[in-house]
Amino acid sequence: MKKQILAFLLAVAMVLSLAACGNNDSSTETTAAADTTTTAADTTTEAESEETTTADEEINLRMAWWGSQTRHDITVEVIEMYEDLNPNVKIEYEFYSFDDYFTKLKTLVASDQVWDIFQLGGNFPMYQDKIFYLNDYIDSGIVDVAGISDSYLKITQDTEGNQLGLSNGLNTYGIAYDPAMFAEAGVAEPTETWTWDDYKNAAMTITEKLDIFGSSSFTTSDFIAGCSTYIGQYGDIGEYSFFNLDHTGMGFDDPAMLTPFIQMRADMINAGAYPDAGASTEITNIENDFLVTGEAAMTWVAANQFPTIYDICLAEDRTLKLAPLPRIKADGPSGAAIQSSQMLCVSQDSQSKEAAAAFISWFQNDPDCNSILQGERGIPVNNTVRDTLSASATPGQQVMYDFVNMVSGFEMPEKINVLSPDGQDLVQDNYLNYIQQVTFGEITAEEAAQKTYDDASSIF
Amino acid sequence: MKNKRFFNKTVYHGFVLLLGFMMIYPVLWMIAGSFKDNGEILRGSLSLIPETFKLENYSTGWSGFGKITFKTFFANSIFITVTATFGTVVSSALVAYSLSRIKFRGSKFWFSCMLATMMLPGQVIMIPQYLIYHKLGLVPGYVPLILPYFCGQAFFIYQMMQFMKGIPRELDEAATIDGCSKYTIFSKIILPLLKSSIVTTVIIQFYWKWDDFLGPLLYLSKPQTYTVSIAIKQFADAASTTDFGAMFAMSTLSLIPVFLIFLFFNRYLVTGIGTSGLKG
Amino acid sequence: MKGAAIKNGRMRSLIYNDNTVGHIFALPFIFGFISFSLIPIVFSFYYSFTDYSLGTKTAEWIGFVNFVNIFKDEVFFKSLLKTLQYVVVSVPLKLSFSLMIAFLLTRKSKLVTLYRSLYYIPSLVGGSVAVALVWKQLFARRGLFNTVLDNIGLPTINWFGDQNLAIYPLILLSVWQFGSSMIIFAAGLKEIPTTYYEAAKIDGAKGYQSFFRITLPCLSPIIQYNLVMQTIAAFMSFTQALIITGGGPNNSTMLYGLYVYNQAFKYNNMGYASAMSWIMLIVMSLVTMVIFKSSKLWVFSESGD
Repeated sequence: MKKQILAFLLAVAMVLSLAACGNNDSSTETTAAADTTTTAADTTTEAESEETTTADEEINLRMAWWGSQTRHDITVEVIEMYEDLNPNVKIEYEFYSFDDYFTKLKTLVASDQVWDIFQLGGNFPMYQDKIFYLNDYIDSGIVDVAGISDSYLKITQDTEGNQLGLSNGLNTYGIAYDPAMFAEAGVAEPTETWTWDDYKNAAMTITEKLDIFGSSSFTTSDFIAGCSTYIGQYGDIGEYSFFNLDHTGMGFDDPAMLTPFIQMRADMINAGAYPDAGASTEITNIENDFLVTGEAAMTWVAANQFPTIYDICLAEDRTLKLAPLPRIKADGPSGAAIQSSQMLCVSQDSQSKEAAAAFISWFQNDPDCNSILQGERGIPVNNTVRDTLSASATPGQQVMYDFVNMVSGFEMPEKINVLSPDGQDLVQDNYLNYIQQVTFGEITAEEAAQKTYDDASSIF
Repeated sequence: MKNKRFFNKTVYHGFVLLLGFMMIYPVLWMIAGSFKDNGEILRGSLSLIPETFKLENYSTGWSGFGKITFKTFFANSIFITVTATFGTVVSSALVAYSLSRIKFRGSKFWFSCMLATMMLPGQVIMIPQYLIYHKLGLVPGYVPLILPYFCGQAFFIYQMMQFMKGIPRELDEAATIDGCSKYTIFSKIILPLLKSSIVTTVIIQFYWKWDDFLGPLLYLSKPQTYTVSIAIKQFADAASTTDFGAMFAMSTLSLIPVFLIFLFFNRYLVTGIGTSGLKG
Repeated sequence: MKGAAIKNGRMRSLIYNDNTVGHIFALPFIFGFISFSLIPIVFSFYYSFTDYSLGTKTAEWIGFVNFVNIFKDEVFFKSLLKTLQYVVVSVPLKLSFSLMIAFLLTRKSKLVTLYRSLYYIPSLVGGSVAVALVWKQLFARRGLFNTVLDNIGLPTINWFGDQNLAIYPLILLSVWQFGSSMIIFAAGLKEIPTTYYEAAKIDGAKGYQSFFRITLPCLSPIIQYNLVMQTIAAFMSFTQALIITGGGPNNSTMLYGLYVYNQAFKYNNMGYASAMSWIMLIVMSLVTMVIFKSSKLWVFSESGD
């Protein structure tokens, strides 16, 4: 018996010590990571010394992205192309669907093994510690930015000018619509400077006349594309933003500024001009959006989604158009911004950061590579690549290129923050929920605005 | 009398079949979907007969991603599932025997621990667990997906314990008087009487493991090592395009192994009240 | 035993001692528990008193703040109530349905295998994305259910838009996937000795009488097992809600497990999620304890414990 107890205790002690050392390890690693971010100079020398010795040796890189079958296939193809061009580089790749990608990324963050090259969207402040800034590689020429204009580099920089990555595609929000349905309902088509009132009236009239949704929903992006853009349209350009630029607090101080937008949403839902929660769940994918299925006359899209739905509708003899987001006042700020759909970043955990950066540079700039990628991730940032692709664009892609050009021409604030603060997802989910509560009559739009404001301020 | 019997039989079979059809309709719809055009699926057609038979769904689906076909994914899934199921049966039977038949210090304590492992949401255990395997250098790899199954699965341990309750203790006692040790009792008496329970375990564990998605997602990284469950999800991406036809086609194929296992082992459960009289 | 021990010395007595034998048989579990479950459990307990986030990876001790916040959280209470509703409705339905089917399918018939396969298939498709999509389609505004309602002249129902109804498609889905409990019941039914039924028949018992006097008591350990397991599983379930409704409308399908998942992975509040998990553990322990305590009254055991 005693022996058993002894053995048992030993086993427990062993396991606990394992846990303890695991704990120590991770804490030292986190502090190490913190060090590297604070003293960027140190890390570069470290990185350089690391890599000069391995220049001709076999380099193994790990890369991951999210997407669907087409993206997986073409990305694998260009990776193999790169391996042929650089025989000493081997790239191990992983791919997932969007949600799974982030679940996986979180476990890798927890264990400090983030892929050398990884893809990030706009909502990534929590991963910023894991990003190795490209500034020094740009200075040393390893990352070639000659073909990328400054304004397009800026869309993947933080407010301090750190280059987080290179964008895979330019993007901006817009409203796709079916002009035939507008004509049928006798509603004027959107203009470049249409207002939210125009938008609401158009939607309501279409619903009344055609018995379909005036506009389809865009559940997860309603907050960013709708509510958050809306705040930026108050006052002068750059006067207000939802969060302030350095993400230390709110960018506006009157919750009532949110009320009209929330009220409009609720009114539209109650009038059947906008899908309610039940109908929204039926949209699983941009391809079965109500605009595509013919049950709505408009829908919110990110510009890079437009060619897909354009092509589907074209097959049914419907020609879609793309309009900018409505404004509060026709002569007021547009609130629009050119954003990065997603970007490729180099990870802090990487052992071969330089090689990873070199790959990213090639990925964004090489014409052969991009002739395979075909701008599937969004409009390329490299000018030559973009010109080549747009020259051979399909009609749907052409609309997208023209639209992004047009929005780029809008007056925009000098400074924007491309990051969204940690905790935004909770604010967004609650916001969508408050709108539902308003439609169910549980709270008023004023209360919903106040609650959203309180939720948002409480993340700081 | 004979008529009444016939009538009863018809009602019974009719009822069972009708209910069965209702039960299986969604599955049939999925199988039908595997032959449908993407557009037809997206329009939400309820028909079980596709407008156009699109067999290409199977070939595009099977071709997988980036030159890795579903052949690889199926092989991986089968390897993991078979090993894990085998582990579950062996280890769970051992543990169940100790917890239900042997009075030893701490048996109640371990039983409570076992139940507790099922009561904490996996979402919060996942990351610390991942870190342990990571520290042990087992990630990425198949070990974290298989090893725990050799340590007994609470769900099945408890199930076998309940089945052991049905085995009279007099059998053990008689065997003990004959000079049998606990080891012999387990292998010669309990195990053979546990057949139905083991068959159930095999059927259920096989499909659970086959369907398991989160485990492979966390512990595997190279696409060459992916399981079918992960691979199927790669078709679906809400932000870009999804090939639903191909996804349904592969989902349909992925049912086959699980169903075969079921058919094979089910015959050990079919002899119902009518014929079985061995256990008493 | 005593005789054997004296004859073969201490070593042998150690090996055959109940304490040793018990531990040897239980070793796989003890090893697995200590190495792969205990530490994560301890960690999750520790995290519940911290602001641990998967992103920043810092875990600052904040005492009971998480627990205090939980009790101020509207969504928490809503999800707890909705989960209770889900459990209380789905578990009894699922159990009685699977017991009924298992019982029906013990009839001596060549078709039984076919039938059982038919009923088992829905459970095989389990967590797949495909089945969630199918389910969504069935309850959609123009889905099968509404088409049927429409055809017989009844008004259609906006299942996922109505906060009082949205939970029912999820409950039905859980009942629909009753295969594993049916298989276990079937195995249990098979274990009931035929002699019992024969004896009852001789005593003149009718069909339903032998069901209540023989089938149910003999099956009671299995019923108890399925009850405990399905209750735990129902408390934990979240993937279906995640895929089908995402928790809406107005959080009326925000099952507890889904909320824990969102807090942990979507909102990066692992500390908060851990605290929520421990509250769940307490709730479930209480529920299971009630089942176990009450089982003394209705569970019948051959082995007499």
